[in-house]
Amino acid sequence: MNPDASALLVLLGLPFMQRALLAGLLTGGLGGLLGSVAVLRQMAFFSDALGHASLLGLTLAVALGLNPTLVLLPFAVVFALVVNAVVRRSRLPVDALLNIIYSASLAIAVLALSRLPRQGPGLEALLFGDILGVTWLDLGLIAGLLLLAVVLLARHRRSQILLCLDEPLARSRGVDAERQQLLFVVLLALAVALAIKAVGVLLISAFIVMPACGARLVSRGFSGYVLLSSAIGAGGAVIGLLASGLFNLPSGPALVVVQLLGFVLALLASATDRPGAAASASSPDRVG
Amino acid sequence: MPARLVAIAKSHKQRHGSQHLAIFAAAAWPPSLVGMGETILEVSHLSVRQGGLLAVEDVSFALAPETDTALVGPNGAGKSSLVQAVLGLIPRQGGSVRLLGHALGPRGQLPPPVRDQIAYLPQLFAPRGRFPLTVAEFVALGGAPAAGRRQAVQRSLELCACQGLERRLLSELSAGQLKRVLLAFCVVRPRRLLVLDEAQAGLDAQAAEQFHNLLFDLRRSQGWTILQVSHDLDMVRRSCDRVLCLNRRLRCAGSPDHALSPGQLAQLYGHHYAPYRHQHEPAAQP
Repeated sequence: MNPDASALLVLLGLPFMQRALLAGLLTGGLGGLLGSVAVLRQMAFFSDALGHASLLGLTLAVALGLNPTLVLLPFAVVFALVVNAVVRRSRLPVDALLNIIYSASLAIAVLALSRLPRQGPGLEALLFGDILGVTWLDLGLIAGLLLLAVVLLARHRRSQILLCLDEPLARSRGVDAERQQLLFVVLLALAVALAIKAVGVLLISAFIVMPACGARLVSRGFSGYVLLSSAIGAGGAVIGLLASGLFNLPSGPALVVVQLLGFVLALLASATDRPGAAASASSPDRVG
Repeated sequence: MPARLVAIAKSHKQRHGSQHLAIFAAAAWPPSLVGMGETILEVSHLSVRQGGLLAVEDVSFALAPETDTALVGPNGAGKSSLVQAVLGLIPRQGGSVRLLGHALGPRGQLPPPVRDQIAYLPQLFAPRGRFPLTVAEFVALGGAPAAGRRQAVQRSLELCACQGLERRLLSELSAGQLKRVLLAFCVVRPRRLLVLDEAQAGLDAQAAEQFHNLLFDLRRSQGWTILQVSHDLDMVRRSCDRVLCLNRRLRCAGSPDHALSPGQLAQLYGHHYAPYRHQHEPAAQP
């Protein structure tokens, strides 16, 4: 298939495609924004666990015959708060604990879905997303959450950076670590719940982690890092969506593959741009 | 002040100068009486439980202004737990802490203007991976005022011998540079108390010496009171005014000559401890 400009114009003229593009732009930006903090706080696995557990929430919505988004939002927040409390109190390694949680959530949800009569979106749509099915309600919720996330992260920028760096140092500067953690976990849970529709349960973590990792490789300052992560997230989503429309590909995987390309480009750029390394190596007090 | 203490203090003053007189008074007097003069830090009957064990038990001491006090003791003695509890970073099992005249709340609460005057250098500070934060951005987070932030950051970096590092990422710095940048983070606004938890850990001999000299200069120029956990007894002997020996309880407190005597060290570390000193080694830092 050789898509041309006319095919692209036809595609852009379709209302569901316009909604999907807007959803990709907002969701990608939101994923990149929150991912930039999640990656620095080593919470990539946490977003993965949240994504997998969301299938439980979706199963619940299917069983009750309710709007999945409206069930998923409170479910994700409660689940995230419970997991956060368990992780902070457990003596097990965090990655092992999160692995148990997300594997168990996925298994229970699939078992439950197998017992329910088939209705609503199929399992494939839940696992890999269906951004073309976003509604104006979804768009409004995503836009509202993006605005909220921008305002809150800007207001608590100093606290969040210090917590990413070193929790005792942050506490010594008067940062309420528990409150900041809860704030971020709730934002992340809401973002995951809303982005599930676009990229699905299995790919949501990549949607949050990949743009931030790419931006981290090439950024030389915190503000630039956050902006670049958001831009890679938003840009990757829009380009991926257009590619999925033009080449008739599943939308969720297409978005993530384009974000992967952004990450690979950043990886290549970082390999050729290491100004600090040479200077640091020549420093007399270089250790280790 | 009781006549006995006055006599001891005068003798101490003859040996160490007037600044040390204040330190000695703070060391000799019970914490409840130190409040008669200005006290930077007052710890009274502090106990801390960590991992189900009593890490610190019934410790009391006070710090007078512009003094440098070392906290020494074997691994697992509760030194880090003590300083973290003093700053409100971990909960107390019992006792009380007053910082700059203000009681530390049960959850480590302090009025923000008081908290701003206290700085802490953690034991392990090594940004992971490629952390996208420049040195200048980090130093500004230390509390540089919004007006004239750039100048305040630049001045701090110059004071801490970090010129030229502004645009470097924290994760690109050597251990020695990172420690100096941490000091710049502290200097960026006026402080009165600096608490260091094994600040020289991970530094080679040259970097440790540079850091120590910088800290000594800053303490004098900034008027800091310092409480530092250290295993470097030679540095403690050379530069600190007072030593607290901790092994769960406070085993002894006093001047370095007293607290680091072979007898006290043997008691503290549980074995015969006899530091070898070169004949040409200066007795104290000028």
